[in-house]
Amino acid sequence: MERAQKYRQRFFVIQQLTAREIKRKYARSYLGIVWSVLNPLLSMTVLSLIFSQLFRRSIENYPIYYLTGYLLWQMFTGATMAGMTALADNKSLLMKVRIPMDLFILTRAYTSLINLGYSFIAYGIMLAVFRIALNWSALLTPVILILLFSFTVGISYLLATGYVFFGDIRHLYGVALTLWMYCSAIFYPVEQLQGTIRTVIQLNPMYVYIHCFRKAIMEGLPPTGSEWLQMVIWGAGIYLAGYLFFKKSRNRIMQKI
Amino acid sequence: MEMQRTNEHAEIAVRHVTMQFRRAHEESSSLKELFINAFRKGQKYETFTALDDVSFTVFKGEVAGIIGTNGSGKSTILKIIAGVLVPTKGKVEADQDKIQLLTLGTGFDPELTGRENVYLNGAMIGYSKKYLDETYEEIVRFAELEGFMDEKVRNYSSGMVSRLGFAIATAQDTPEILILDEVLSVGDLFFRKKSEARIQEMIHGGSTVLIVSHSPSVIRSNCTKAIWIEKGKLEAVGDPQEVCDRYEKMQKGGAG
Repeated sequence: MERAQKYRQRFFVIQQLTAREIKRKYARSYLGIVWSVLNPLLSMTVLSLIFSQLFRRSIENYPIYYLTGYLLWQMFTGATMAGMTALADNKSLLMKVRIPMDLFILTRAYTSLINLGYSFIAYGIMLAVFRIALNWSALLTPVILILLFSFTVGISYLLATGYVFFGDIRHLYGVALTLWMYCSAIFYPVEQLQGTIRTVIQLNPMYVYIHCFRKAIMEGLPPTGSEWLQMVIWGAGIYLAGYLFFKKSRNRIMQKI
Repeated sequence: MEMQRTNEHAEIAVRHVTMQFRRAHEESSSLKELFINAFRKGQKYETFTALDDVSFTVFKGEVAGIIGTNGSGKSTILKIIAGVLVPTKGKVEADQDKIQLLTLGTGFDPELTGRENVYLNGAMIGYSKKYLDETYEEIVRFAELEGFMDEKVRNYSSGMVSRLGFAIATAQDTPEILILDEVLSVGDLFFRKKSEARIQEMIHGGSTVLIVSHSPSVIRSNCTKAIWIEKGKLEAVGDPQEVCDRYEKMQKGGAG
């Protein structure tokens, strides 16, 4: 009972901090949170103008193909980029409040998830526009999302802890993300690549999440057994690794900050 | 030194607490330097001792004041007692769940409205949503900010901010151990009276109270015991009048 209350309180703190992040982010814009809906649509339009001709034969409904990958990728990069600096940004608060430090990291991840929620409005509209018929496989997408989220949180823990000790990680991660994005087959079909690079892409956890999500929505097919296995192992493994690394370094973080 | 009392009512026991902060010798922390240091073997750290073998006890029902010049380690000991920091050596015996740490305006965000800040700040202090919904009106009334709550805190005067901070911080039912970090002497004279009365109320509610202040007058008028920490060392523990007199003498004589 006490425990449940404790977790409820933590979630309340995360909600409040998230509300702050979102209000701050859109403090100077008229449309505010509507941008979370508009942004993916605009991005989709731009990419479709250029690439849908190029990939016409290999991808049906290119805009949806791209949008699915883009939304998940944005959730991931948004959460990890912001999560990385979460501890450093809230330095003064950390020294004053008796709430667990990792709530700040979780807040950044949760903010990204809420953003994704708004972006799904745009996604839903587009699915209707392109007359994508959903079947029961679509019901699996929340599970895929949860696994992706757990993977994301794990990476955020690792980055946030690392960032406290070596500020350069930020720049390195920026470069790594570019490479990672090109290896996630967000705007091109993976079938066009052969050899080692294709293997790399198919082993890339982000590709697996995006691929399974797409398949469930666009083709109405559930992930295969090995795909489930990959998603679970990456999601749980990275989460645990991140959490333990953070926990072990907690005291040193406090001293460093 | 004070008389040794039996341990049974010790609400907070600080035992030989030493706190050292390690700082890498070169300020910037970059990966390049990490590599260089790895090759140089044995990184060079500068250790800064914020607290050096500090011990004291606070008994149930006592109102203890921690005094000391800025940077002497007052806030550090407070954070250790509250469980925000873990000491390098020694330990603190206190029931963490009973402790309520009050700092003013923790995490006030100038870009948010007063109302939003009440919820944000309250959440971080540990109030539930339900509790905040119930006490919201009272907080606003106590802070005398009716009609300003939908205004951004950026537009508040500093007095308004500290009034709101104080009202949120003290909105709760009296906790068993209350730690106040420079919470008193806030706002104008009228509000100061009101806030002192509120603190007195909490003190008489049976809490064990720990007050941190750099002002001897706050300690004199509120505390039953004073703890003086200077440059990380325990300088004196005892009667507030005596300890504060010595503290003031040191301040006049010293560089301050």
